[in-house]
Amino acid sequence: MKRAVLCLMMALAAFSLFAQEKVTLNVFNYQQADQAGYQEDVAIWEKFQKDNPDITLNMEVLFNEPYHQKLQAYAAAGTLPDVFYVWPGARSAVIHEKKLAKDLAKLLGADYLKDFTGAATNPNNQLGRYLAMLPQSFTYTSVMYVNKKLLKDNGFAVPTTYADLKKMVPKLKAKGIGVVMLPNKDEWPMQSCLFSTVVGRMAGDKFIDEVLAGKAKFTDKPFVDALRVIDNLYKDGIIAREENQSGYGEGPGLFAQGKAAIYIDGDWRTGAYITDKASGKALISPAAQASDFALVPFVSIPGEKNPGVLSAVAGTGWAVNGALPAGSAKERAAVRLMKYLYSDEVQAIRYSTGAYVPTRKGVKANVEPLPASLPGFYAANPKTCYVLDGVLDPAVYNVINAGLKAIGLGTATPAQVAADTQKAFEAWKAAQKK
Amino acid sequence: MSEEIKTTPLGRLAAALGRFFAYAAMGIFSLMTIYPIFWLVMNSFKTTREFQVSQLGWPKEPTLKNYAQAWEMGEFGKLFPNSIIYTAGATAGIILLALLAGFAFAKLKSRATRPMYGSFVIGILLTTNTLLIPLFLEMNLLGIYNTRFAVLLVYIGSGLPTAIYLCTEYIKSIPSALVESARIDGAGFLRIFWKIILPMAVPVATTVAILNITSIWNEFALINILVSKTELKSLPLGMFKFSGSLSTDYGKQFAALTIGMTPMLVFYVVFRKQITKGVAAGAVKG
Repeated sequence: MKRAVLCLMMALAAFSLFAQEKVTLNVFNYQQADQAGYQEDVAIWEKFQKDNPDITLNMEVLFNEPYHQKLQAYAAAGTLPDVFYVWPGARSAVIHEKKLAKDLAKLLGADYLKDFTGAATNPNNQLGRYLAMLPQSFTYTSVMYVNKKLLKDNGFAVPTTYADLKKMVPKLKAKGIGVVMLPNKDEWPMQSCLFSTVVGRMAGDKFIDEVLAGKAKFTDKPFVDALRVIDNLYKDGIIAREENQSGYGEGPGLFAQGKAAIYIDGDWRTGAYITDKASGKALISPAAQASDFALVPFVSIPGEKNPGVLSAVAGTGWAVNGALPAGSAKERAAVRLMKYLYSDEVQAIRYSTGAYVPTRKGVKANVEPLPASLPGFYAANPKTCYVLDGVLDPAVYNVINAGLKAIGLGTATPAQVAADTQKAFEAWKAAQKK
Repeated sequence: MSEEIKTTPLGRLAAALGRFFAYAAMGIFSLMTIYPIFWLVMNSFKTTREFQVSQLGWPKEPTLKNYAQAWEMGEFGKLFPNSIIYTAGATAGIILLALLAGFAFAKLKSRATRPMYGSFVIGILLTTNTLLIPLFLEMNLLGIYNTRFAVLLVYIGSGLPTAIYLCTEYIKSIPSALVESARIDGAGFLRIFWKIILPMAVPVATTVAILNITSIWNEFALINILVSKTELKSLPLGMFKFSGSLSTDYGKQFAALTIGMTPMLVFYVVFRKQITKGVAAGAVKG
């Protein structure tokens, strides 16, 4: 009898020890069900749960503005989840400025972080100037998708200068083919995918820094010249004014049908052309991606000060709640989850779905030709500049967005848009001082 | 005089033209309302690739896969019952409390009536966005965050200002003599409410129900803040998973939106007569 009681007590002790080790991690995930790679993403989380039975993932999933609202509410209430998704800049300002996330440079360690690109682990690329999150990607927001075959069939080579684009207009227009497609009904694509690059070329990041510091104005020549480039693109017929009535979602389908020779978008859009796992069909077949299409930088512009720069921004990534006690079981579980999420295995899956090109070095994945060409594109175009909506407040960049559309429709001049932008900036600046 | 005009050829022509333009205008408005729904449903049967190359044409190879996948990915099986619970529970609560409050404010005069009525009605001016973070903090403090009770409480609270206003104004139009006679006959206020006020207030109750059923069924911002467990979420949160500006899987997106929209369409088709009557009654007397 005594032996049975002893055995029972030992079993209970062992059980309680085991029970203590089981950790529940609250994860706030940013996931969209209608984005390419959703099912693979779900499988990534299921695998972690299966491989780590001592960790229970309590996951909440949202995306877009409601995600940010909820994150804000969690931060205000001091109830942040243990692991959550964060932007490196103003989009997740509260996390960076109040230092609500752990410093990953310390938590993950230099030895672990050496496997990531320097841009990803540079704390100066984040708002709080510390490694609050680890960017999974470094996104180029401005890429020219070129239909080489269409150009060749019409006697043109891949363009490298503004003059090359202008030369294509009469012949392609006569055949009902656009030279450059940039659907801008939603207003942000022109700013994010082309104008930021043009500002980088004509004015440079230093100019934007000076504007933010009050030492320069949006009405100064470099910014007005950048707006003038956009104006000329429309006036010269390189981009049709009708593009301002096309929705962002319509672009890839029309470009794949040969409605334009060139399509301008962010690097993330390579995912729209690859084979859809559900239907097995691709907008552009892998063979055609390899032979007929290319990703190239925007052409050189007359008068540019910084040739070859392209707008780019550190991508999103994961952060760990700064309130987790150091050395606790929860912190250890969070680190295990982080290392899994940034592992070769997971990053290869995300790369293969066209989600992004990982910042983790040497990730190999079986990807189709268009996304496979991105690392080469990055290597060939190392000089980057600001994406305006990454450095300016929405109160300012929304005015730029609307102004660019007005230029596109021919209802505003570059000087007017520059003046409106400066006015919005001054109003925003004044509101900050109150 | 007008009869004379109608009998002349010119008068008949003018009347016919008037009818033609009236029907044409109504036809255009109907088309503007129905076409987006038709377009959404039609494209929900296309694969994403087919949609990308043909956005206006009929589906060449119609597929139901989008619906099956959207249902599973959106976890609609869990969300539908929640939407029904929140909509039915909160609407019933709002109607009952608003009628009781309306009766008190309309028929029981005291010095507290005006300030109390005002304190409820001022809620109409509050926007949902201003309440999100305070409500989140409050629910956390009360320890009811992530519960159905919190959702029902907030929905009832947010629906009451408009409902109380409508009910009070409606009940004011019921003759006070009826209440006074019942009091003389010895009836208590609760009995008067159940036997006299409630049966006479059915039209305004219908109006309140219509307003709240549609708004609670489609409500997103509050429930997004009040719950995090999928088991407690409602249909709009599931539909939202499919409505990103950078979305690439249009087939599933449209199927999910169709699934979410269908209950409200069915609700309207089944109850359209009551809805029309209820809105008219509420509008006239309220």
